[in-house]
Amino acid sequence: MKLGASPYLDALCGDYLLGTLRGAARARFERACADEPVVALRLQHWQQLFTPQPSEAFRMQPAPRTWQRIAHDLDLRRYRQPWFARVGLWRGWALTATAVLTVWLGVSLIDRAPAPPVMHPIATLASAAGAAPVVASLSGDGRWLQLVPARPVVAASTQSYELWLLPPDGSAPVSVAVLGELAAQLQVPDALRGRLQTGAKLAVSVEPAGGSPTGAPTGPVILVGAINAG
Amino acid sequence: MLDDIQIRRLILLSAARDAGAFEQLYRLTAPVLLGVAFKITGRRELAEEVLHDAFIKIWHAAARFDPVATRPVAWMATIVRNRAIDSVSRADVARVVSVGEDEDSLDRFFDWSAAADDEADGARMRHWLRGCLDELKGGERQALVLAYLHGLSHGELSDQLAKPLGTVKSWVRRGMQSLKQCVDSCMGVS
Repeated sequence: MKLGASPYLDALCGDYLLGTLRGAARARFERACADEPVVALRLQHWQQLFTPQPSEAFRMQPAPRTWQRIAHDLDLRRYRQPWFARVGLWRGWALTATAVLTVWLGVSLIDRAPAPPVMHPIATLASAAGAAPVVASLSGDGRWLQLVPARPVVAASTQSYELWLLPPDGSAPVSVAVLGELAAQLQVPDALRGRLQTGAKLAVSVEPAGGSPTGAPTGPVILVGAINAG
Repeated sequence: MLDDIQIRRLILLSAARDAGAFEQLYRLTAPVLLGVAFKITGRRELAEEVLHDAFIKIWHAAARFDPVATRPVAWMATIVRNRAIDSVSRADVARVVSVGEDEDSLDRFFDWSAAADDEADGARMRHWLRGCLDELKGGERQALVLAYLHGLSHGELSDQLAKPLGTVKSWVRRGMQSLKQCVDSCMGVS
Protein backbone atom coordinates (compact mmCIF):
# COMPACT_ATOMS: atom_id res chain seq x y z
CA MET A 1 0.00 0.00 0.00
CA LYS A 2 1.16 3.47 -0.71
CA LEU A 3 1.95 5.47 2.42
CA GLY A 4 0.36 8.56 0.92
CA ALA A 5 -3.05 6.96 1.39
CA SER A 6 -2.39 5.78 4.93
CA PRO A 7 -4.57 7.18 7.70
CA TYR A 8 -1.38 7.19 9.80
CA LEU A 9 0.52 9.52 7.48
CA ASP A 10 0.58 12.38 10.01
CA ALA A 11 1.58 10.06 12.84
CA LEU A 12 4.40 8.68 10.68
CA CYS A 13 5.64 12.17 9.80
CA GLY A 14 5.70 13.06 13.49
CA ASP A 15 7.49 9.85 14.46
CA TYR A 16 9.99 10.34 11.66
CA LEU A 17 10.81 13.92 12.60
CA LEU A 18 11.15 13.05 16.24
CA GLY A 19 13.38 10.10 15.42
CA THR A 20 11.24 7.45 17.10
CA LEU A 21 10.48 5.83 13.73
CA ARG A 22 13.29 3.30 13.42
CA GLY A 23 14.77 0.55 11.32
CA ALA A 24 12.82 -0.85 8.40
CA ALA A 25 9.87 1.46 9.04
CA ARG A 26 12.18 4.49 8.84
CA ALA A 27 13.77 3.25 5.60
CA ARG A 28 10.33 2.59 4.13
CA PHE A 29 9.18 6.10 5.04
CA GLU A 30 12.27 7.62 3.40
CA ARG A 31 11.63 5.63 0.23
CA ALA A 32 8.03 6.83 0.22
CA CYS A 33 9.25 10.44 0.51
CA ALA A 34 11.30 9.94 -2.64
CA ASP A 35 8.53 8.12 -4.53
CA GLU A 36 5.32 9.75 -3.38
CA PRO A 37 5.00 13.52 -3.63
CA VAL A 38 2.04 13.43 -1.21
CA VAL A 39 4.28 12.04 1.52
CA ALA A 40 7.12 14.44 0.76
CA LEU A 41 4.75 17.41 0.89
CA ARG A 42 3.17 16.33 4.15
CA LEU A 43 6.60 15.85 5.72
CA GLN A 44 7.66 19.27 4.44
CA HIS A 45 4.65 20.81 6.17
CA TRP A 46 5.62 19.10 9.44
CA GLN A 47 9.22 20.18 8.99
CA GLN A 48 8.20 23.80 8.66
CA LEU A 49 6.51 23.54 12.04
CA PHE A 50 9.20 21.60 13.89
CA THR A 51 12.74 22.39 12.98
CA PRO A 52 14.13 24.00 16.08
CA GLN A 53 17.44 25.81 15.90
CA PRO A 54 20.11 24.04 17.99
CA SER A 55 21.54 26.21 20.73
CA GLU A 56 25.08 27.40 20.10
CA ALA A 57 26.00 27.17 23.75
CA PHE A 58 26.91 23.48 23.46
CA ARG A 59 29.95 23.17 21.21
CA MET A 60 32.54 20.48 20.70
CA GLN A 61 35.63 21.01 18.57
CA PRO A 62 35.91 18.13 16.08
CA ALA A 63 39.24 16.34 15.69
CA PRO A 64 41.29 17.70 12.74
CA ARG A 65 41.15 14.21 11.23
CA THR A 66 37.41 14.48 10.63
CA TRP A 67 37.75 17.38 8.20
CA GLN A 68 40.71 15.72 6.51
CA ARG A 69 38.59 12.62 5.87
CA ILE A 70 35.70 14.67 4.51
CA ALA A 71 38.03 16.58 2.15
CA HIS A 72 39.64 13.32 1.08
CA ASP A 73 36.41 11.39 0.56
CA LEU A 74 34.85 14.17 -1.50
CA ASP A 75 38.15 14.74 -3.29
CA LEU A 76 37.78 18.47 -2.69
CA ARG A 77 41.17 19.23 -4.29
CA ARG A 78 39.50 18.83 -7.66
CA TYR A 79 37.31 21.80 -6.91
CA ARG A 80 40.13 23.95 -5.64
CA GLN A 81 42.09 23.87 -8.84
CA PRO A 82 41.24 26.93 -10.93
CA TRP A 83 38.68 25.43 -13.20
CA PHE A 84 39.92 27.25 -16.31
CA ALA A 85 43.19 25.34 -15.93
CA ARG A 86 41.30 22.13 -16.52
CA VAL A 87 40.12 23.07 -20.01
CA GLY A 88 42.20 23.70 -23.08
CA LEU A 89 44.05 26.96 -23.36
CA TRP A 90 41.97 28.12 -26.32
CA ARG A 91 38.81 27.81 -24.34
CA GLY A 92 40.56 29.22 -21.30
CA TRP A 93 40.56 32.69 -22.83
CA ALA A 94 36.84 32.89 -23.31
CA LEU A 95 36.17 31.30 -19.96
CA THR A 96 38.61 33.57 -18.16
CA ALA A 97 36.85 36.62 -19.57
CA THR A 98 33.53 35.22 -18.36
CA ALA A 99 35.05 34.39 -14.98
CA VAL A 100 36.41 37.92 -14.55
CA LEU A 101 32.97 39.31 -15.24
CA THR A 102 31.33 36.79 -12.92
CA VAL A 103 33.78 37.48 -10.12
CA TRP A 104 33.31 41.21 -10.56
CA LEU A 105 29.56 40.77 -10.42
CA GLY A 106 29.86 38.37 -7.50
CA VAL A 107 32.06 40.73 -5.52
CA SER A 108 29.69 43.58 -6.11
CA LEU A 109 26.68 41.48 -5.06
CA ILE A 110 28.04 39.53 -2.13
CA ASP A 111 29.64 41.02 0.93
CA ARG A 112 33.02 39.61 1.71
CA ALA A 113 33.20 37.25 4.65
CA PRO A 114 34.49 39.01 7.75
CA ALA A 115 38.14 38.51 8.65
CA PRO A 116 38.83 36.21 11.63
CA PRO A 117 38.92 38.23 14.86
CA VAL A 118 42.22 39.15 16.53
CA MET A 119 42.41 37.45 19.93
CA HIS A 120 44.05 38.92 23.04
CA PRO A 121 44.92 36.69 26.02
CA ILE A 122 42.95 37.73 29.11
CA ALA A 123 43.49 34.91 31.59
CA THR A 124 45.41 31.73 32.29
CA LEU A 125 43.21 29.13 33.96
CA ALA A 126 45.28 26.88 36.18
CA SER A 127 44.53 23.87 38.29
CA ALA A 128 45.48 23.34 41.90
CA ALA A 129 45.94 19.66 41.03
CA GLY A 130 48.60 20.47 38.45
CA ALA A 131 46.53 19.74 35.32
CA ALA A 132 47.45 21.45 32.06
CA PRO A 133 46.69 25.19 32.10
CA VAL A 134 44.28 26.78 29.63
CA VAL A 135 44.79 30.20 28.09
CA ALA A 136 41.60 32.23 27.54
CA SER A 137 41.67 34.95 24.87
CA LEU A 138 39.04 37.52 23.95
CA SER A 139 38.54 39.05 20.51
CA GLY A 140 39.16 42.77 20.13
CA ASP A 141 35.43 43.42 19.83
CA GLY A 142 34.68 41.34 22.93
CA ARG A 143 32.36 38.96 21.04
CA TRP A 144 34.51 35.82 20.85
CA LEU A 145 36.24 33.86 23.52
CA GLN A 146 38.85 31.26 22.76
CA LEU A 147 40.22 28.59 25.08
CA VAL A 148 43.53 26.93 24.27
CA PRO A 149 44.64 24.16 26.63
CA ALA A 150 48.31 23.24 26.88
CA ARG A 151 47.27 19.77 25.75
CA PRO A 152 43.93 18.40 24.41
CA VAL A 153 41.45 17.57 27.17
CA VAL A 154 38.18 15.88 26.21
CA ALA A 155 35.33 15.21 28.62
CA ALA A 156 34.17 11.63 29.17
CA SER A 157 30.96 10.89 27.28
CA THR A 158 28.90 11.17 30.45
CA GLN A 159 30.38 14.54 31.38
CA SER A 160 30.73 18.05 30.07
CA TYR A 161 32.92 20.93 31.09
CA GLU A 162 31.16 24.14 31.95
CA LEU A 163 32.83 27.53 31.81
CA TRP A 164 31.75 30.07 34.42
CA LEU A 165 32.26 33.76 34.96
CA LEU A 166 32.86 34.62 38.62
CA PRO A 167 31.83 38.29 38.97
CA PRO A 168 34.16 40.62 40.91
CA ASP A 169 31.45 41.40 43.50
CA GLY A 170 31.40 37.79 44.65
CA SER A 171 27.87 37.15 43.34
CA ALA A 172 26.82 33.77 41.94
CA PRO A 173 28.82 32.29 39.03
CA VAL A 174 27.27 32.85 35.60
CA SER A 175 27.43 30.08 32.99
CA VAL A 176 29.34 31.11 29.86
CA ALA A 177 29.30 27.85 27.89
CA VAL A 178 29.01 24.07 28.08
CA LEU A 179 31.95 22.35 26.43
CA GLY A 180 32.77 18.82 25.33
CA GLU A 181 36.46 19.62 25.45
CA LEU A 182 38.62 22.44 26.69
CA ALA A 183 39.80 23.64 23.26
CA ALA A 184 36.99 25.90 22.12
CA GLN A 185 36.07 29.07 20.34
CA LEU A 186 32.74 30.41 21.38
CA GLN A 187 30.61 33.47 21.20
CA VAL A 188 30.35 35.47 24.38
CA PRO A 189 26.63 35.44 25.36
CA ASP A 190 25.07 38.88 24.87
CA ALA A 191 24.37 39.25 28.58
CA LEU A 192 28.05 38.73 29.42
CA ARG A 193 29.54 40.98 26.79
CA GLY A 194 31.72 43.58 28.48
CA ARG A 195 31.72 41.63 31.75
CA LEU A 196 34.91 39.68 31.03
CA GLN A 197 36.85 42.43 32.81
CA THR A 198 39.81 42.72 35.12
CA GLY A 199 38.64 41.72 38.61
CA ALA A 200 36.35 38.92 37.43
CA LYS A 201 37.51 35.30 37.18
CA LEU A 202 36.90 32.42 34.82
CA ALA A 203 36.47 28.89 36.10
CA VAL A 204 35.77 25.45 34.62
CA SER A 205 33.75 22.79 36.45
CA VAL A 206 32.98 19.19 35.57
CA GLU A 207 29.23 18.67 35.06
CA PRO A 208 26.89 15.94 33.82
CA ALA A 209 26.77 15.74 30.00
CA GLY A 210 24.94 18.79 28.70
CA GLY A 211 25.93 21.04 31.58
CA SER A 212 24.88 21.81 35.12
CA PRO A 213 21.26 20.76 35.76
CA THR A 214 20.80 23.53 38.32
CA GLY A 215 22.33 26.55 36.63
CA ALA A 216 25.09 26.70 39.27
CA PRO A 217 28.31 24.66 39.34
CA THR A 218 27.57 21.21 40.79
CA GLY A 219 30.79 19.32 40.05
CA PRO A 220 34.41 19.92 41.01
CA VAL A 221 36.06 23.11 39.76
CA ILE A 222 39.13 21.96 37.88
CA LEU A 223 40.47 25.26 36.58
CA VAL A 224 40.32 28.86 37.67
CA GLY A 225 42.06 32.06 36.65
CA ALA A 226 41.72 35.79 37.21
CA ILE A 227 41.00 37.98 34.20
CA ASN A 228 43.55 40.61 33.37
CA ALA A 229 42.10 42.37 30.38
CA GLY A 230 45.03 44.80 30.34
CA MET B 1 26.79 33.59 17.00
CA LEU B 2 26.42 31.89 13.66
CA ASP B 3 25.28 34.44 11.16
CA ASP B 4 22.38 33.05 9.11
CA ILE B 5 23.18 35.26 6.14
CA GLN B 6 26.77 34.11 6.02
CA ILE B 7 25.92 30.41 6.51
CA ARG B 8 23.23 30.55 3.84
CA ARG B 9 25.68 32.14 1.44
CA LEU B 10 28.29 29.45 2.16
CA ILE B 11 25.75 26.67 1.52
CA LEU B 12 24.81 28.25 -1.80
CA LEU B 13 28.48 28.61 -2.77
CA SER B 14 29.04 24.96 -1.80
CA ALA B 15 26.19 24.02 -4.11
CA ALA B 16 28.20 25.77 -6.83
CA ARG B 17 31.11 23.46 -5.89
CA ASP B 18 33.21 26.07 -4.11
CA ALA B 19 35.42 23.90 -1.90
CA GLY B 20 36.81 26.89 -0.01
CA ALA B 21 33.31 27.99 0.99
CA PHE B 22 32.48 24.43 2.05
CA GLU B 23 35.53 24.31 4.28
CA GLN B 24 34.58 27.62 5.87
CA LEU B 25 31.04 26.31 6.35
CA TYR B 26 32.51 23.34 8.18
CA ARG B 27 34.80 25.46 10.38
CA LEU B 28 31.91 27.64 11.48
CA THR B 29 29.19 25.05 12.05
CA ALA B 30 30.98 21.78 12.89
CA PRO B 31 31.38 22.50 16.65
CA VAL B 32 27.63 23.12 17.13
CA LEU B 33 26.70 20.16 14.89
CA LEU B 34 29.14 17.84 16.64
CA GLY B 35 27.35 18.80 19.87
CA VAL B 36 24.01 17.83 18.28
CA ALA B 37 25.44 14.46 17.17
CA PHE B 38 27.11 13.82 20.52
CA LYS B 39 23.90 14.33 22.47
CA ILE B 40 22.40 11.49 20.43
CA THR B 41 25.34 9.10 20.12
CA GLY B 42 26.75 9.69 23.61
CA ARG B 43 30.10 8.58 22.20
CA ARG B 44 32.62 10.93 20.78
CA GLU B 45 34.12 8.77 18.05
CA LEU B 46 30.66 7.84 16.83
CA ALA B 47 29.64 11.52 16.85
CA GLU B 48 32.68 12.39 14.69
CA GLU B 49 31.70 9.59 12.31
CA VAL B 50 28.18 11.01 12.09
CA LEU B 51 29.62 14.49 11.47
CA HIS B 52 31.75 13.11 8.64
CA ASP B 53 28.83 11.33 6.98
CA ALA B 54 26.55 14.34 7.45
CA PHE B 55 28.99 16.75 5.76
CA ILE B 56 29.36 14.35 2.82
CA LYS B 57 25.57 14.47 2.55
CA ILE B 58 25.47 18.27 2.98
CA TRP B 59 27.94 18.70 0.09
CA HIS B 60 25.71 16.58 -2.15
CA ALA B 61 22.43 18.04 -0.91
CA ALA B 62 23.55 21.69 -0.94
CA ALA B 63 21.96 22.23 -4.34
CA ARG B 64 18.59 21.21 -2.89
CA PHE B 65 18.83 23.59 0.08
CA ASP B 66 15.86 25.94 0.02
CA PRO B 67 17.08 29.22 1.51
CA VAL B 68 13.54 30.46 2.00
CA ALA B 69 12.08 27.46 3.80
CA THR B 70 14.42 26.91 6.74
CA ARG B 71 17.17 28.52 8.73
CA PRO B 72 20.45 27.16 7.41
CA VAL B 73 21.86 25.77 10.67
CA ALA B 74 18.55 24.07 11.45
CA TRP B 75 18.66 22.49 7.98
CA MET B 76 22.18 21.17 8.59
CA ALA B 77 21.24 19.99 12.09
CA THR B 78 18.36 17.97 10.61
CA ILE B 79 20.80 16.13 8.36
CA VAL B 80 23.10 15.47 11.32
CA ARG B 81 20.21 14.24 13.49
CA ASN B 82 18.93 11.87 10.83
CA ARG B 83 22.38 10.42 10.35
CA ALA B 84 22.91 10.11 14.12
CA ILE B 85 19.58 8.32 14.56
CA ASP B 86 20.43 5.90 11.76
CA SER B 87 23.76 5.23 13.37
CA VAL B 88 22.43 4.54 16.89
CA SER B 89 19.61 2.40 15.47
CA ARG B 90 22.12 -0.16 14.31
CA ALA B 91 21.86 -3.10 16.64
CA ASP B 92 25.59 -3.33 17.25
CA VAL B 93 25.87 0.15 18.69
CA ALA B 94 25.99 0.26 22.45
CA ARG B 95 25.47 3.63 23.99
CA VAL B 96 24.90 5.20 27.30
CA VAL B 97 22.84 8.29 27.14
CA SER B 98 23.21 10.45 30.15
CA VAL B 99 19.88 12.07 30.58
CA GLY B 100 19.56 14.64 33.27
CA GLU B 101 16.78 16.72 31.84
CA ASP B 102 15.01 19.45 33.66
CA GLU B 103 12.55 22.15 32.85
CA ASP B 104 15.30 24.32 31.36
CA SER B 105 16.41 21.84 28.68
CA LEU B 106 14.18 23.36 26.08
CA ASP B 107 15.78 26.74 26.46
CA ARG B 108 19.30 25.52 27.03
CA PHE B 109 19.58 23.25 24.03
CA PHE B 110 17.47 25.14 21.51
CA ASP B 111 17.61 28.68 20.35
CA TRP B 112 14.14 30.18 20.10
CA SER B 113 15.19 33.74 19.42
CA ALA B 114 14.61 35.45 16.11
CA ALA B 115 17.54 35.66 13.71
CA ALA B 116 18.75 39.07 12.62
CA ASP B 117 17.39 38.65 9.11
CA ASP B 118 14.56 36.32 10.06
CA GLU B 119 11.41 36.51 8.08
CA ALA B 120 8.52 37.40 10.36
CA ASP B 121 6.94 34.00 9.55
CA GLY B 122 9.88 31.99 10.84
CA ALA B 123 10.12 34.00 14.06
CA ARG B 124 6.36 33.67 14.68
CA MET B 125 6.51 29.94 14.03
CA ARG B 126 9.23 29.42 16.61
CA HIS B 127 7.37 31.57 19.11
CA TRP B 128 4.23 29.45 18.63
CA LEU B 129 6.10 26.18 18.81
CA ARG B 130 7.75 27.21 22.09
CA GLY B 131 4.37 28.25 23.50
CA CYS B 132 2.66 25.06 22.30
CA LEU B 133 5.34 22.92 23.93
CA ASP B 134 4.46 24.58 27.22
CA GLU B 135 0.85 23.63 26.78
CA LEU B 136 1.59 19.91 26.51
CA LYS B 137 1.14 17.65 29.49
CA GLY B 138 4.33 17.07 31.47
CA GLY B 139 4.94 13.47 30.40
CA GLU B 140 4.23 14.17 26.76
CA ARG B 141 6.56 17.13 26.69
CA GLN B 142 9.31 15.25 28.46
CA ALA B 143 9.03 12.30 26.07
CA LEU B 144 9.18 14.57 23.01
CA VAL B 145 12.15 16.57 24.25
CA LEU B 146 14.12 13.45 25.25
CA ALA B 147 13.38 11.73 21.94
CA TYR B 148 14.35 14.79 19.93
CA LEU B 149 17.42 15.79 21.88
CA HIS B 150 18.93 12.36 22.53
CA GLY B 151 17.39 10.37 19.69
CA LEU B 152 15.82 7.91 22.13
CA SER B 153 13.68 5.12 20.69
CA HIS B 154 10.31 4.17 22.19
CA GLY B 155 12.02 1.39 24.15
CA GLU B 156 14.74 3.67 25.51
CA LEU B 157 12.14 6.29 26.44
CA SER B 158 10.21 3.65 28.30
CA ASP B 159 13.35 2.74 30.26
CA GLN B 160 14.30 6.34 30.96
CA LEU B 161 10.86 7.42 32.07
CA ALA B 162 10.12 4.12 33.83
CA LYS B 163 6.76 3.84 32.09
CA PRO B 164 5.27 0.99 30.05
CA LEU B 165 6.10 1.00 26.35
CA GLY B 166 2.45 1.51 25.40
CA THR B 167 2.16 4.60 27.59
CA VAL B 168 5.29 6.12 26.11
CA LYS B 169 4.17 5.40 22.56
CA SER B 170 0.86 7.10 23.10
CA TRP B 171 2.53 10.09 24.82
CA VAL B 172 4.75 10.56 21.80
CA ARG B 173 1.94 10.19 19.31
CA ARG B 174 -0.54 12.35 21.21
CA GLY B 175 2.16 14.88 22.02
CA MET B 176 3.17 15.36 18.39
CA GLN B 177 -0.46 15.50 17.31
CA SER B 178 -1.39 18.14 19.90
CA LEU B 179 1.72 20.11 19.05
CA LYS B 180 0.80 20.14 15.39
CA GLN B 181 -2.81 21.08 16.10
CA CYS B 182 -1.67 23.85 18.39
CA VAL B 183 0.82 25.34 15.88
CA ASP B 184 -1.65 24.89 13.02
CA SER B 185 -4.34 26.73 14.93
CA CYS B 186 -1.90 29.55 15.75
CA MET B 187 -1.27 29.79 12.01
CA GLY B 188 -4.99 30.02 11.38
CA VAL B 189 -5.16 26.63 9.63
CA SER B 190 -7.55 24.41 11.47
